[in-house]
Amino acid sequence: MAKSRLFKVLSAVIDVKPGEEVLAVLLFSYFFLITAPFGIVKSLRDANYLDDLSAKSLPYAYLSALLVAFAVALHARLQSKISRRRLILSTLVFFISTDLVFFALFSLSQWPWLSLIFWMWASTFVVALTTQFWILVNDLFNPREAKRLIGFFGSGGILGGIAGYLLTWFLAKTATSHQLLLLSAAFLAVCMIVVRAIFSWLKANEGRFSVSGSGAKPGRQDSPRVGLSDSFRCVRTNGYLKMMAAIVVVTGIVSTFIDWQSKSLIEQNPAARANFASFFGRFNAGILVFAFLFQLALTSRFINRFGIRPGLMIYPLIILLCSTGIAVLPTLGFAIAIKGSDKALSYSINQSARELLYIPVPPDSKYRAKIFIDMFLNRFSKAAGGVILLGLLFIAGLKPIAATNIPPLVGISLVSGGFVLLWIILNFKISGAYVREVKAQLAKKWERADGVIAGKMDVDAAKLVVDTLEARAQSSTLFALHLHELARQNKLTPEIRSLLGLEPTEASASPVRPLFESDAALRLPDFDELIPPSMLDQEIREISSLESYQKLVGEYAGKMIADKSAASETARMELAKAIGFMDEHSALSASLEDLLLDASPRVFQYAAESAGRIRKREYLPILVRKLADPKVGEDARSALEKYGDAITGMLADYLTDADEDPRVRANAASLLGGIATPESAAVLLGELAEGHEDLREEIIDALDRVRSQRSDIDFSEEIVLGRFAMEVRKSGRAEAPGDLIPLFKLLGLIYDHEDIFRAYQNFVKGTKDSVAYAIELLDNIVSLEIKAQLFPLLDRFSGKSEGGDPA
Amino acid sequence: MVISKREKNNVVIFDIDGEIKRSDITDITLHQMVKDQLELGKKQILLNFEKVEFIDSFGVGEILASYISTHNLGGKLKLARISKKLFLIFQVTMLTKVLDIHEEEDSALQSFFKD
Repeated sequence: MAKSRLFKVLSAVIDVKPGEEVLAVLLFSYFFLITAPFGIVKSLRDANYLDDLSAKSLPYAYLSALLVAFAVALHARLQSKISRRRLILSTLVFFISTDLVFFALFSLSQWPWLSLIFWMWASTFVVALTTQFWILVNDLFNPREAKRLIGFFGSGGILGGIAGYLLTWFLAKTATSHQLLLLSAAFLAVCMIVVRAIFSWLKANEGRFSVSGSGAKPGRQDSPRVGLSDSFRCVRTNGYLKMMAAIVVVTGIVSTFIDWQSKSLIEQNPAARANFASFFGRFNAGILVFAFLFQLALTSRFINRFGIRPGLMIYPLIILLCSTGIAVLPTLGFAIAIKGSDKALSYSINQSARELLYIPVPPDSKYRAKIFIDMFLNRFSKAAGGVILLGLLFIAGLKPIAATNIPPLVGISLVSGGFVLLWIILNFKISGAYVREVKAQLAKKWERADGVIAGKMDVDAAKLVVDTLEARAQSSTLFALHLHELARQNKLTPEIRSLLGLEPTEASASPVRPLFESDAALRLPDFDELIPPSMLDQEIREISSLESYQKLVGEYAGKMIADKSAASETARMELAKAIGFMDEHSALSASLEDLLLDASPRVFQYAAESAGRIRKREYLPILVRKLADPKVGEDARSALEKYGDAITGMLADYLTDADEDPRVRANAASLLGGIATPESAAVLLGELAEGHEDLREEIIDALDRVRSQRSDIDFSEEIVLGRFAMEVRKSGRAEAPGDLIPLFKLLGLIYDHEDIFRAYQNFVKGTKDSVAYAIELLDNIVSLEIKAQLFPLLDRFSGKSEGGDPA
Repeated sequence: MVISKREKNNVVIFDIDGEIKRSDITDITLHQMVKDQLELGKKQILLNFEKVEFIDSFGVGEILASYISTHNLGGKLKLARISKKLFLIFQVTMLTKVLDIHEEEDSALQSFFKD
């Protein structure tokens, strides 16, 4: 994609991707044009109220938020009837009109309670317009995009606030305050043009960005149409959303307390009293200049670097500090500090972190939740704060309390501190819940195939069946030995019997029959019915343990082993198979060593099978040597697996011997992975620590195999991270996302294996959004050190998913 | 046994001719050939069994090892045109519970895009 000039300019300031620049600037402007008029309206709201009704009446203003909540409910109902585009434009028209009505009323009337009505209107103004803006942003971006861009949008809002407050500060000195309402109406009119431009752009770029209920497509109505009661039900039934709701309520209560604390102190200041409108304009502008700088320079970087939890914690911690300061020393300095921190941080880092909390919520729940939480509860919480404040002021006025001489401001600051502590706890909990929500967005694309196979079929039995079929055509002795083994393992099911042609009486009913009609000459009695398998096994063991049997068959074995001709291959196969039914003390078990050295792969197959059953240490060197032979390596491996953890030390010796055949060493690593004990893991980890380049994939894979079976085994973080750093350097040459698998396997050793592989699978085979969620999950679980190494690689491949919809 | 490779719609097809038995293998095994493709980033593999008469336990091991290697990397391995006799063996041994087996090559190829 060719990079536009706008992209080049913007990318120098923010982390914007090609194709996003126009939308980013439009959304920045949209937020600017909402907050600039609100800066004016808010300054006028506070000034008019203090002028007309004084700070003592502020709790009534806070309480009026309850009525605002009903206005919000009406808005929610409207949202359920019209498209997003029309709703936003209609809302702007409504606030432009009512803005002009207030201009007229303030020009004509001196009625003091008009300030209370204006307060309510102003509060509705901000909550309706900003919620609409953030719903749109949530709709358009996934977590990774939001993390990159949300700081930029937020700074647009803060810059708008600064412009509004500065205009109020300068113009309130010469113009009557209500004349500034004409200016706010003008901002909103320009905002309408920008909103129309956004939806036109979205329509033209529908493949890249889409918004539910945008109205971009005529007749498209896929957004949930909900009212306030649906929104409430949605939040009530979802633990994560309930926690978000609780945070908004507590934040609202604290914010009300802060407003009262600061205004109570500001009201007593003579400089502020001279011209409240000008004072609040200058004060708010100053706060927002700080907020803007914070937002532009720190918010995105802070959240990207430290994650969502510190992003949520910084705001309440600073408020707690300031509130404690007011309780100890109630001065204008602390008033400015607490109000300044409240506004600066709530508009910057807290707003960004809180919006990110909505990202993993499924779209239909998100709209409902935002209506209830951001619009209704946000206002309700201010009212609740007002009620609590009135109650506390009432208690402070009671004689016994008044007699303690504790100023109400100090008492309320202490109560506020208590609410902030609750807020911190809730933030801590929701940041953990956020990770779980992100994880829930990541479907597991596949399970480990070895586990799937083990769960669905018996591989050894399947191999035995096909070998039995082959033996059937080769020799009746070999066939009988196989049948005996099948019977011993209770594997002679009717289907297998039928497949092997063991049920001539039911032949006509068997679907298998026609397949074997051509070689129907071979017929064996139903020996497992004549003699029960357990009795037959006992019988065979007794016979084979007879000294005379061992002597006679030993002589026969000697002859067969000496005869290396192809003609005696079947006899050697029979012998190798038969020894497997004897115990380790039988003289014939020694002959197995010769059979393991037989040049015929088929003889070796049966000898290895028997070796795995008898498990004498003498067989081990031969079996290990055969690991390097592609024809029989798998048979040797299967036999060695049967030895279990008893051969950990021996495998360790082979693995760490640099002069050994690489195929033997690779198989030793794999076998150690299969053994999956703390000892085998320690051997593999030790080899990983050596940092050798050969066998690195095999060792990492074996460690991953251990981890997938034994989550209780701990791996040294130092060793794993050392290797991780080496793999990152190698991954510079990676050509596809799948090439990064060693990095994920290493991370799986020190983090939750399931989480890491869920992230890997979605990164490799996900859609654009699930890739973003995968990275977001990693962002929240791995350390800063790992993020610094891994994320540049992930960013390189995040648009190159191997599956799913790249758009 | 002879194994030849071709590609169709980004799917690597191995045409296997002969029996997959330990006594019949050449220098390079089926599993090794599959792994070579996986290393090249080709993760959609189809085994054409039209000319496979029989497999022994080595063959079962080769198919399952190929399946594990492919699926653990997020790929797909399927089988097509398997004989009735082999299919029956696969059914009885429960291999059909694990492997995705198609009657025809075209339907197998289409199924890669449906997944």
